[in-house]
Amino acid sequence: MMECKHAHEMSAYHDGEVPEPSRAALAEHVRGCPVCAAELARLERLSLLIRARGRPEMSAQALERLHRSVDLQPKVALLRVAEVFTAVAAAILLCSGIWLWRISAASASAEQIPLWETVAIAPQDLSAAASQEQLARWIVEDLSRKNGHD
Amino acid sequence: MPEGSGYLQSTDLELVQAARAGDPAAFHALVDRYAHSLFALAVSLSGNIADAEDMVQETFTGAFRGLGGFQGRASVKTWLSRILVRQAARHLRYARRRKAHFIPLEAASQSSLGVASSHPRADTRMDVMAAIRALSPEHQGVIVLRELEGLSYDEIAEVLQIPRGTVESRLFRARRALQEQLKEYFG
Repeated sequence: MMECKHAHEMSAYHDGEVPEPSRAALAEHVRGCPVCAAELARLERLSLLIRARGRPEMSAQALERLHRSVDLQPKVALLRVAEVFTAVAAAILLCSGIWLWRISAASASAEQIPLWETVAIAPQDLSAAASQEQLARWIVEDLSRKNGHD
Repeated sequence: MPEGSGYLQSTDLELVQAARAGDPAAFHALVDRYAHSLFALAVSLSGNIADAEDMVQETFTGAFRGLGGFQGRASVKTWLSRILVRQAARHLRYARRRKAHFIPLEAASQSSLGVASSHPRADTRMDVMAAIRALSPEHQGVIVLRELEGLSYDEIAEVLQIPRGTVESRLFRARRALQEQLKEYFG
């Protein structure tokens, strides 16, 4: 099939989408160009074929279902808001639970302080005992040294 | 009587504004006004009646949720078509994933489509529909929006979110492909 450099413009020309003055120039061209005239005729035939296929219509039952679904939309929107609130409430509960757990864990640690203090006191007693022992040893050594010198 | 019959004289924008203000009858009027044309577009894009009905329902659900965001820059028809094309793309992706067995449109009775039946015409219709569905999704979209919906190139560009030049080139190639597939009708 012969081609014309303007053939690809016939689609937009056929749709009325070529602005003036290009449209007038193309119309003049089509009158003298059998390739573009044939292309335009094929495009018109194709449009007729497609439009002749008819326009499918939604059944009455489907349209009724559609209207019912539209009626449900405000309720669906409310449910969505309720879902958001539920999610926020769940998040707050979770955070509160974690916070309470940490607080109780901290309290448990605080209750162990007396034990710790007991342990802490023990070395003091030991050190005190050690000091008394050391003192006794010093006394014995001191007395022994004095007796030896004598 | 249609549920939105009190709004027969209202413009699309007035209906959107009334629906946004909380009047359900206004939204029902929009459904009555556009359900059939959106269904025709959905059938052409999906080739499946059940999916087409789902797509139209999801389109109006999306439109209801998006009422607040509609600013009236595009027409209501363009806005709804854009939502439907997005739904169609989502359906197509989902269908590819699950590889479901669809009831082909050819198998559906002509009466269920609301189209009169006579044999030669029915054959032509089926050939044309099969040829359209054999196109790539990009080419299907422009052909259906132009030939069946009668949208301008600017409106198609708005619906498909592509440049106007792309609309023009896709239409050219889609028509060439259709002519090739339907060459028996071009004697």
